[in-house]
Amino acid sequence: MLQITINGKQIEVPEGTTVLRAAEKAGINIPRLCDHKELTPYGGCRLCIVEVQGVRVPMASCTLPVSNGMVVNTETEALKKSRKFILSMLFSERNHFCPFCQVSGGDCELQNAAYHEEMTHWPIQPGWNNFVVDTSHPYFVLDNNRCILCRRCVRACAEMAGNFTLSVAERGAKSLVVADTDVPLGESTCIKCGSCVQVCPTGAIIDKTSAYQMHDKDLTEVKSICTGCSVGCSIKLMVRDNRIIRIEGGWHGSVNHGVLCEHGRYDPMNESRKRITTPLMKKDGKLEPVSWNEALKAVADQLRPLSGQKDGIAAIVSTKLPAETLTAFKDLFAHNEIVTTTEEGMPTASVTKFAEKQGSFEGKLDVLSNADTVLCIGVDAGRTHMVAGFMFKRNMPKGTRLINIDPEENELNDLANLYLKPKAGSDLALILGLQAVIVKEGLGRSPLALPDTDSLIQKAVEETGISRDQLTQTARVLANSITPVILFGKGITAQRDENLVEELYNLAVLVGAVDSERLGLLSLKGEANSLTATLLGLDQIFELNGHKAVFVALGDDYVSRSFVERVSKVSYLVVQASYESKLTAQADVVLPVTVWSEQEGHYINLDGRVQKTQKVFSAPENVRDNLAVLNELATRMNISLESNWKQAILARKSSVALN
Amino acid sequence: MNKPKIASDWICGCAGCHMSLLDMDERILKIVELADLRATPITDLKEPDESGVDVGILEGGVNNSANEEVAHKMRKRSKILVALGDCAVFGGVPAMRNLCGVEAALKRAYVEAESNEPGSQIPDDPELATMTQARAIHEVVPVDYNVPGCPPDADTIFYVLAELAQGRKPEIKDEYLHWH
Repeated sequence: MLQITINGKQIEVPEGTTVLRAAEKAGINIPRLCDHKELTPYGGCRLCIVEVQGVRVPMASCTLPVSNGMVVNTETEALKKSRKFILSMLFSERNHFCPFCQVSGGDCELQNAAYHEEMTHWPIQPGWNNFVVDTSHPYFVLDNNRCILCRRCVRACAEMAGNFTLSVAERGAKSLVVADTDVPLGESTCIKCGSCVQVCPTGAIIDKTSAYQMHDKDLTEVKSICTGCSVGCSIKLMVRDNRIIRIEGGWHGSVNHGVLCEHGRYDPMNESRKRITTPLMKKDGKLEPVSWNEALKAVADQLRPLSGQKDGIAAIVSTKLPAETLTAFKDLFAHNEIVTTTEEGMPTASVTKFAEKQGSFEGKLDVLSNADTVLCIGVDAGRTHMVAGFMFKRNMPKGTRLINIDPEENELNDLANLYLKPKAGSDLALILGLQAVIVKEGLGRSPLALPDTDSLIQKAVEETGISRDQLTQTARVLANSITPVILFGKGITAQRDENLVEELYNLAVLVGAVDSERLGLLSLKGEANSLTATLLGLDQIFELNGHKAVFVALGDDYVSRSFVERVSKVSYLVVQASYESKLTAQADVVLPVTVWSEQEGHYINLDGRVQKTQKVFSAPENVRDNLAVLNELATRMNISLESNWKQAILARKSSVALN
Repeated sequence: MNKPKIASDWICGCAGCHMSLLDMDERILKIVELADLRATPITDLKEPDESGVDVGILEGGVNNSANEEVAHKMRKRSKILVALGDCAVFGGVPAMRNLCGVEAALKRAYVEAESNEPGSQIPDDPELATMTQARAIHEVVPVDYNVPGCPPDADTIFYVLAELAQGRKPEIKDEYLHWH
């Protein structure tokens, strides 16, 4: 620990702490603009200057590490004067006229800094630099005229999303933020995660949807969890008048630390499906509005005699619904042969099955941040579960290698150090081939008995269509890594072969991805509550043969066309859904229910974190809560739903430790 | 003792700051109690007394040769000069034309704008003032108090006038300080 005195206040901080962070710890506020707690210190704006005893000139506290016995002052008259001068220079560079800026009036850190220094005017008038405003992006506007070149956006693009789209071109007063090689942002490699908008301290990057709607001080902040996928990112909803103004990544989130992907930040803002606002019942071949009582009575009357009958009811629930709802659903239809999910366990069943034998064998998402090599197999982290991809993409310039194995076209292939495109269905041969090369060359970190390595390698080459050279190279890179991680997804799990998962596990042990200290093996699962569903045993494939009724609790989820085709042949279809779809069009009864933001409940993310979403909005008048509908049906069908979800998920071994 | 004299004028602004001044409602009677309101653009007397005033207020920036004249006259005749509002303090909305230049702005307004009659031209009557770069007042004459805001709140204007009328120095900060 090091001793430091700031404004006469003595505190102790660990080595490596910057003076700015030490001051924060001491409760002393130092004005700053380019600094951001989730980004690497940059020292660009110089507003955070402090006086250090024994040093001739003021120093930027954000990049100055504390040394023992340091004596620092942050509020001398000279510093105040300097800060005013620094701000004057910033204001003189570009168009910082406040009256027509979206962030003016509380949301602009530059303006707030000027108010803090009690600046009534600009001592130096602007130089009238004129930059082109880039409005080509679907979600945000880049206006270099408002930019102070703090490079927070550039750092967020690199350090949060790992995308490296933004950089600064030109020099001096002509410097400007550009995408790629100065192409319009909308035509660039931007993956639309919006991290740059979230960190911009001025009006240089503004959000199109929420612009000019209201200042943040007039919005309500609600912390919740994104239900877009199984990563389970923390989000901050900015809310007003029962609607979302903007979604931000929650800085408080242990999973994402502020970053979000396009789906999490913008999909809910662009929801274009039509909401169902009243119960509907098919009458003379047409769906007609009916009362809740009529709809529920009809459903209960139809289902009651079929409940528990052979070929009676098939019940299918979306894995996007909260754990409480999934548990109630399971209980409600417990006596029927088919109780499963829309995912049918594709992303999870084989993993849970292997866990029955192996116990929990998967690691936490954090291993991705510390990996020196990531082997992705059957995963497209550029398309789904993107935030998990960010966790290693951002480290690639520092040397983290990516090996991408996917029979399909993969978004991350361009980025990968090695990418293999094996023939579909040849994964087992490939994994065994990799094991064989490592064993044969004696590169393994732990012993693995393989009978005939040569024939395994030969078989791998034949079945996958990958050359022996490439296979060998891949195996060597993986085996020579210090902290490798194997990340697998639906490409593997949808084959429903726990043997595949087991061999991946063996490979992970062989290369030291999994040992007594690290669990560098992780599957991405599917939707927000995939893991909960499989723990509840809701992960079988369903096949309808003469079933008399199908009950689909879809919530606000989407359905595939093939799913609609499969279930719509049944003679009685009940759909509990928030939005109109091809499925609801086929239904005999449609029960309108709440969407993610209108209900609360628990979710277990892909690495076992139990999190809770918040009810942010009140639902439309005639729309009911997903869980409440199931409870009401249970009452009408004389079935008791008493299970506690926390108990229910303990019925099966989890592939990942829950916490 | 004689009451301090206050005069005001507007140059390149939108009159919004004077509207905000009127927004102080009945408190304007307090100002009249404290000070002698002389020339303003919204009263009969249009020019500050030749003998001088104690406080001169200018709304709007300096945009042409006529504005310059007004600014210099007000400065010369005022003991204390107040720049009122964002245009006077920073240049404001009119200063946006500095980004494209006077020529392009005039062309856009008088020739290209959709509302113009075909064949319209930029007025060139020799009696018209000469256009210049749009500037804040303090770029043209020394200013004693900058009161930003678009417009400054009536509360702010009342505070500033009341302080000045009673011989005190107003402090433009906290709730009195905003730039929009």
